[in-house]
Order: sequence, then structure tokens, then C-alpha cells
Amino acid sequence: MSPLTRKLWRDVGRHRAQFLAVTLTVFLGVVVFAASYDSFQNLQSSYERTAVDFRFANFTAVGGKPATLAAEAAEMPGVAAVQERTVADLPLRIGATELLGRVVGLPPDGQPLVNQVKVIRGSYLDPARDEAVLVEQHMAEHFELGSGSIVEIFDGSTWRAVEVVGVVSSPEYIWPARDRQDLLTSPDNFGVVFGPETLAARLTSGPNQVAVYYRGGQEDAGLTAGLSARARALGATSVFTRAEQPSNAALSEDIRGFEEMALFFPILFIAAAAMAAYVMISRLVHAQRPHIGVLRANGFGRSAVLRHYLGYGALPGLAGALPGAVAGVLLAGLITRLYTSMLSVPVTVVRFHPATLAAGVVIGLVATSTAALAPALFASRVQPAEAMRGETPGGRGRPSLAERLLPPLRRLPIRWRMVLRGIERNPRRTLYTALGVVLSLVLVLVSWGMIDTIGHLLDLQFREIQGQDASVYFEGPVGTAQVAALRDVPGVADAEPALEIPASLSLGGRHYDTTLVVLEQATEMHRFRSVDGTWLELPAQGMLVGKGLEQALDTRPGDLVTVQASGLAGSPQVPIAAFVDEPLGTLAYVSRQAAGAALGTTLPATSALVRYAPGADPAVVRAAITGLPGVAAFEDANALYDTIQRYMGLFYGFVGIMLVFGGAMAFALIFNSMTVNISERSREVATLLAIGVGRRSISRLVTVENLAVTLLGIPIGLVAGYGVSSVAMATFQSDMFAFALHMRPSTLALSALAVVGVALLSGWPGLRALRRLDIPAVVRERSS
Amino acid sequence: MTIALHGVSKIFGEGPAAVHALRDLDLTIPQGELAVILGPSGSGKTTLLNLVGALDRPSRGSVQVRGRDLGTLDERGRIDYRRTQVGFVFQFFNLIPTLTALENVELVAELVGTQARPALEQVGLADRLDHFPAQLSGGEQQRVAIARALAKQAPILLCDEPTGELDFETGRHILGLLRRLNRENGQTVLMVTHNAAIGSMADRVIRLRSGAVAEDRRVARPLDAGELTW
Repeated sequence: MSPLTRKLWRDVGRHRAQFLAVTLTVFLGVVVFAASYDSFQNLQSSYERTAVDFRFANFTAVGGKPATLAAEAAEMPGVAAVQERTVADLPLRIGATELLGRVVGLPPDGQPLVNQVKVIRGSYLDPARDEAVLVEQHMAEHFELGSGSIVEIFDGSTWRAVEVVGVVSSPEYIWPARDRQDLLTSPDNFGVVFGPETLAARLTSGPNQVAVYYRGGQEDAGLTAGLSARARALGATSVFTRAEQPSNAALSEDIRGFEEMALFFPILFIAAAAMAAYVMISRLVHAQRPHIGVLRANGFGRSAVLRHYLGYGALPGLAGALPGAVAGVLLAGLITRLYTSMLSVPVTVVRFHPATLAAGVVIGLVATSTAALAPALFASRVQPAEAMRGETPGGRGRPSLAERLLPPLRRLPIRWRMVLRGIERNPRRTLYTALGVVLSLVLVLVSWGMIDTIGHLLDLQFREIQGQDASVYFEGPVGTAQVAALRDVPGVADAEPALEIPASLSLGGRHYDTTLVVLEQATEMHRFRSVDGTWLELPAQGMLVGKGLEQALDTRPGDLVTVQASGLAGSPQVPIAAFVDEPLGTLAYVSRQAAGAALGTTLPATSALVRYAPGADPAVVRAAITGLPGVAAFEDANALYDTIQRYMGLFYGFVGIMLVFGGAMAFALIFNSMTVNISERSREVATLLAIGVGRRSISRLVTVENLAVTLLGIPIGLVAGYGVSSVAMATFQSDMFAFALHMRPSTLALSALAVVGVALLSGWPGLRALRRLDIPAVVRERSS
Repeated sequence: MTIALHGVSKIFGEGPAAVHALRDLDLTIPQGELAVILGPSGSGKTTLLNLVGALDRPSRGSVQVRGRDLGTLDERGRIDYRRTQVGFVFQFFNLIPTLTALENVELVAELVGTQARPALEQVGLADRLDHFPAQLSGGEQQRVAIARALAKQAPILLCDEPTGELDFETGRHILGLLRRLNRENGQTVLMVTHNAAIGSMADRVIRLRSGAVAEDRRVARPLDAGELTW
């Protein structure tokens, strides 16, 4: 080992705490990068493999003339398989629980050509048993169903008992969403069974869907356009691609989060690590100027000095990045398995991606080496004679900016003026420390902002917009009298009729499939929030539509939109009265009166929105209502709210980890700056001690100076954190959900306080070192 | 006596690595005396100064200053002692670079409730009050350091190689200043130096060797600083 290498190692040993801080920050950054990027790649591969292995439809058309479309599609070039099938939304009953259900038809003698299922337990359908079904695993797990269990299906007139022969997972229901407008469901409220096509066809009016699988499962925009046009021409009420399929769309949004995280969070950590490395190495180079002079005087060339000091960056970079990349890649495997097992993704693909490992190492190495470049260049340009004199060139002193701007500050006690000037003494270090505070706050606020936003949006959706405690679904269309009868149920304060119809909205050649919700004009069960936050009434004419439609149909209030709804004759044109801002879904709302007038008929209700009386027991109310004749399903809004909160557990866990990482990053960065600050001042501190200033007083001065730098970064960090959070949340904007940032003032205040706390904590080791300062030795040092 | 050391030993380190900086030293310095302590590197000069300045504690023996045993002082007492009883002048000046000349002295003056300007006027820097250390010459910086020590109005001035960083002329000027202050203010000055020639201006020369007093003599006719040569 060369003497310079030995020097490097020993210097690292002497400053191990600071090198460790840089190493830790690099480690965290690379772990987050490798874990999130590989998780993204693994999950994407898992979904892609699932799509291919189970022939997940590239295109689906609902309604119209499925047989004709299926025949035509089969002839189209690029189509690998076509499956005509029956999908019926029918109430299910499991024990005493009635819920919204879906029955999907499958060929009893073998897997379908498109949208195959994976049998997890039991067996596939038996052609000899017409009344046997497979249940989708989410429902199976929730109700503990298995082979031999009985599920009842309401066929429109009677409850028909069918026997479960197997539990399956399906690429269509990895995320068990009813439709795009209703992504969040509780297993208590929605479940899927797969039955023989003959059974499904008997339960409804025959095949109503065509699912098309493209060659190789690959997307083909031209083929999709052709199929869409043909399906619409044949009267399809809804068409959607694989990307638009509710479960797939929700999962795609979710894994996109991993991809964004793989970019965004590591940038913060790596930038912080680079700044910490810069601060540390700059200080080291200045302290070692005489040594550098001696090296140069003894024949070491500039490049040797340059390489030597670059090593101070490369070493912690490599030390953090190498284990970070390995840990990240291993963690990605765990995350992928945990994620796919939680969601029961049929295929889990965990691959080793050497490129991620290499990229992680390179990112860490390049970041800290780049940070070392400026000080290393400075070292290589040191003039030996000047350096060996030992005097570090002193900057030209001057009053602080604060004193120049506010002259009364010049009357502060000298010690406090020292604090003010200390902040400006090394502007670059102050800037980097403040930037570190900014980055830490950004990381904390982005993570915390997500929690705040989701909490707020759930409250907004379930507490402010939705006024009902439960939705009651009827076995078939009912009149308002049957809805009114619900008010007589003990524990029910109010009930209103509602009609939900799958509908396609069209304007200028664009189509958007959604749900048309028909409510009482003076409804008290649903509030309509305009895009500017004010509350609207359901209009007497026209409809209110989710703001997602503005982009989907390129429309604005006043436009006439063609509404095509299944079961409704004709395609009336309805004006858009206003857009509503709702966190979940892009629905169309119309008053019963307006809809009736447009269609020239009195509309029935398919469901009722119910509000409990104060103090009512939801379980008792549920039991009483589901016991009524004609009631098919009961959806408890609070149960759904609780279920969603449970779904968020994994997310909160992730955000919690990010908060801990943010704290660690802030600690590492501020610790380095403060340690350097204190070590650089050791001679001054020793002098102050020698002339009779108490250690506590000096600790206070140093702490206040460090805190002042922290406080400089806090307002910028709060603004930047808020801004970045807004941008981050805006990326989760779609027609399925709209996550507009909502950050509580207390979050900002607590984040700022947390960073101040971390700053105080990270200054503590430096202050301890100050207490151990050898005054006689330090006051005799030539330079600090 | 202002300063009295009785059987003082100072040992750094332990076992075979132990270094005896001072060995069983007995020494008294009366009030108002300017004593120069000479000796080669490692002879214990600075250790002696540090013990008198309460920057360090003896391993054995006692250091008494104006009747007070420094060994009995706790941390608070040592800070008070340094604040009120001794002023330091260091070889490398040790000024705070972010404070002007006036502010460097005010730093101390605020501590003890005295005025900074008279001290700076006394060292001839009345016209350089608002200059920062980087804007002052070495001699001027050392004068600021002396003014900082003076501002305390402490009875003892401890100078560690005060001319070590200065050129010959500036060095003589600083020594003249210290001598003048010693005579005008009656301060006891304990000056550590390698430079044997400086002993000629002192009232007394104490030469240390290997931690013990090798020579302790009074100077019959101290020279003026301007008469010194080296």
C-alpha cells in the first residue's frame, strides 16, 4: 500500500464519524434507488408475464352485438384470440351477507382463449356440473370460501345456490375494482365468481362482452382503433383497452409510483451525500494545506495530489454505494414478493438486474467523487512554498449582511455579532448546509404530504361529498315508494333513491365510459364540490361531471354531450352544467327531474342512499335492511372507509420509512457541516476559553450559529417541499382519482420543528468534542 | 508573591510513554515582575505558562496565584480566574477573524465590564479600530492581542512566544510595548520564548531544562527593548 493510500485510510479513520455520515447518506440513496427501481422492473415484469401467461385481453367491448364483433375481430390481422363471454353484475349472498357481485362466464371444459384464471385451490370448472363456480380469491379469503362452500346468486327473480369448486386469481381482478369509477371497494361490498358460460348466460340475457387478445399480447394502437370503431358501430356501450381496464389501470398507477420514487428520492439523498462530502473534503484540504505543500515540495505531481484527494470522495461513495446497491437489489426482491403476495398477483417475477446494481454503484461513486473534484483540484494547485508557511489565506472580514441591512444589529453583544458573521464566513458551506435542510424538508414534506393528502381526500370523499352512511342495492329497478319504505327501518334517519347506469359520454368523436348517477335534485346524500372549492346544487337542467372529463372529452361547461346508456332508449344530448372536483372517479350526475324530462319518463331507482339515525348500530341496521324483500346488497360507507384505511397500511409504512430516511439524511448532512464548523473554529474556541468565556456560553454560540443556518434553510425548504409535493401529487392525477395536494399547517410546523430537532441533535457530537478540546495545544497551533 | 509554584510536576501520558514536562518545580514570581522563561523545545516552558494560566492542572504540587490555589478551583472558578486574573498573548495572535480590532477587544471587555478603546489606544491602534485581522499587519495583530489582554485589567500577563511570528523590528516594538505596560500598569508579565536575547530586557530570567529550573537569575540592568539585538 502506497504511503498516500495509507494516509487516506488513516485520515478516514480520524474523521470516521464524518465519513460514516457521507457513507450512510450514499447508502440510503442507493438503497432507495435500487430497491424502488428494481421493484418497479420486477412488478412490471410480473404484470407483463401475468398478462401473457393468462392471455389478458388487450381490448374489451361491452354491449352491442358481441357475436358479430367476435367473428369480425377473429379475422383481423394481429388478433391472436377472441373470446365472447357473459359478464353479469348480480347480487351475491354469502351466509347472511348480501353484496354486489359479478358473474363471469368461462368455458366449463377448459380455460378461455382470453382472460384465463389461475386455480389457487380446488379445481377448475367441471363440464358435468352446471351449477358449480370458481370464486375470486379476494372474496374467497374475506369470506373464507373454499371447495364445497355455497354462494347464492340472485338471478333477477330468485336466489340460486351454487357450489364453489375452486378459488382462482385473475388478471382482471388483481385489484378487485368494480369499474374505473369505483376503484376502491371492500370485499364486504363486492365480489366476483366465475361460472360456466351457460350458467352466466342464463342469469342474464346472454353473452355481452368480447375480449380480444393480440398476437404476443403486445399493444397495437392501430388494431385497437379499428376494433373500437367497429365495436361502437355495432352498438357497444363501452370499450376499453388493457391499459384502461380498472384493475390494470389502478396497478399501473401504483407501480408508476415506484418508478418515480426510484428517480426522485435517490436524487435527494445523493445530492445530500455530495454536499456532505464536499463540505468534509474542502475542510480536510484546507486543514492539510501544509501537508500538501510538503507533498508537492517532495516531488508529488499535481495529478497524484488530485487523485489522492479524489479518493476521499470515491471511498465513502464506494463504501456506501456497493452495499447500498446489493441491499437495494435484495430489498427489491422482498418488496416485489411482499407486494405480489399481498395483491395475489398470479405471477411473481424477481430478476437480478445487473444494470441496476452497476447503476447504483456508479451513481454513488460519481456523486461523491464529483463532490471531491473542486477541493481536489484546489489541492492540486496549491503552491508548495506558500502552503508550507501554513497560513490559510484569511478572507477579508466585514460586518455581516444582516448588520449592514439592519445597522442596530451592530449594537448587539460581540458574541452575537460573531454568530451573525460566522454564518457568512464560509458562504458555500452555509449554502450547502441550508440546502441540506431544504432537501431534508423536501423529503419529509413529500412523504408527509402524501399522508395528509390521502387522509384529506378520503375525508373529503367519505365525510363531506358523500352524505350517506350506506348504499342499499335492490334486486331490480324499484319505485320511490320502496325507497321511502327504508325510512321506516329502525335506525334509518333518511333514504333517497339513486339510479346508477353505465354510460358512454361522447363529444366530437371522443368517448368516455363512466357511470351516470341519477339523484334527487335536492339531494342531501351527495354534495357537489366545484373546482374552485365552492358547493354546487344539482342543476334542474344539464349535468354535473367530474373534472377529469374536461381533458377526456376536451369539453367545457355549456357543451352538449351525447349520453348513451345501457337500458335507455335513444342517445340524448345533455349540456354540461359544471365540473365537480371529486377525489375518486369521474362520474356524471344528473337530477331525477332533469333525466326524466330528457327521457320523457319517470325513472326508477336501482339503489337507495341511507343515512343512519344518531346512535344507530350499523350492524343492526344492515341486518334489518338486508332482511327486507327486494334488497340485494348493502354497502356500508364506513366499512369501505375503514377498508381503504387498511389498504393504506403498506403505503403508510413506506412513508414512515421515508420519514426515517429523511431524518437520517438531515442528521448526516447537518452533522457533517456542524462538525466541520466546530473543528474549523477549534482555535477560536480555545482562545475564547483561554480568555475566560465559559464552555456553556461557547456551546450556546456554536449552537445558535448552527441553528441560524438551519433556520435559513427552513423557509426555503418549506416552500420547496410544498412545491415538490404538489408536483409529486399532480403526477397521480387521472380520471380515476385526483390527488390535489393538501398539506396541514401542522405538518409544515412539525416538519420544521423536526429538522430543528435533528439539527440540535446532530450538533451534539461536535459540542461534545468541544468539551474535550485541549486548549493549551490548540491555542499554539499555527492554523486551525 | 503573585505566583508561587510548590513541587509542581506535570506528566503527560502513562507508563513507558509518560513524558515528564515539569519535575518537582518550585518557583515564585513577585507582583510587577517581568520574567522571561527560556529553554529549548520540550523543556516545559509552555506547560509552566499553561499551569499558571489555569489552562491545565499539575500532576503533583500546587500552583498558587495571589494566594489562591488553582488546584482547588472547579471549572467555573477556573473560568473566572482566566477572566479576571490573567491575560494571554499567543504566538499566533489568535484573533477572531470575523471581528474587527475593536470588537476583538470588546469581546473581552464585555466579559469583565471594562472599556476596549483605552486598551487599543494604549497599544497605539486608535486609528485601526474598525480593521479586521486580515487587514492588519502581524505586528498590529499582536498589538490587538495585547490590547485584548490589557482590556481585562488583569494583574498577570502570560505571553507565549509573543514575537515568534514577527520580524525583528516589529518584535522589538512589541517587546517595548510589553515592558512599558508592565511598568505603567504594574502587571506581572511571564514571557515564554526561545529567544535568549529577550532575557536581556527582563527583570529576571528563568531557564528551564528537562522540566526543571536550570538557571534562575535576576538581570542587574534590564535593557530597553530598542537595545535588543538577535
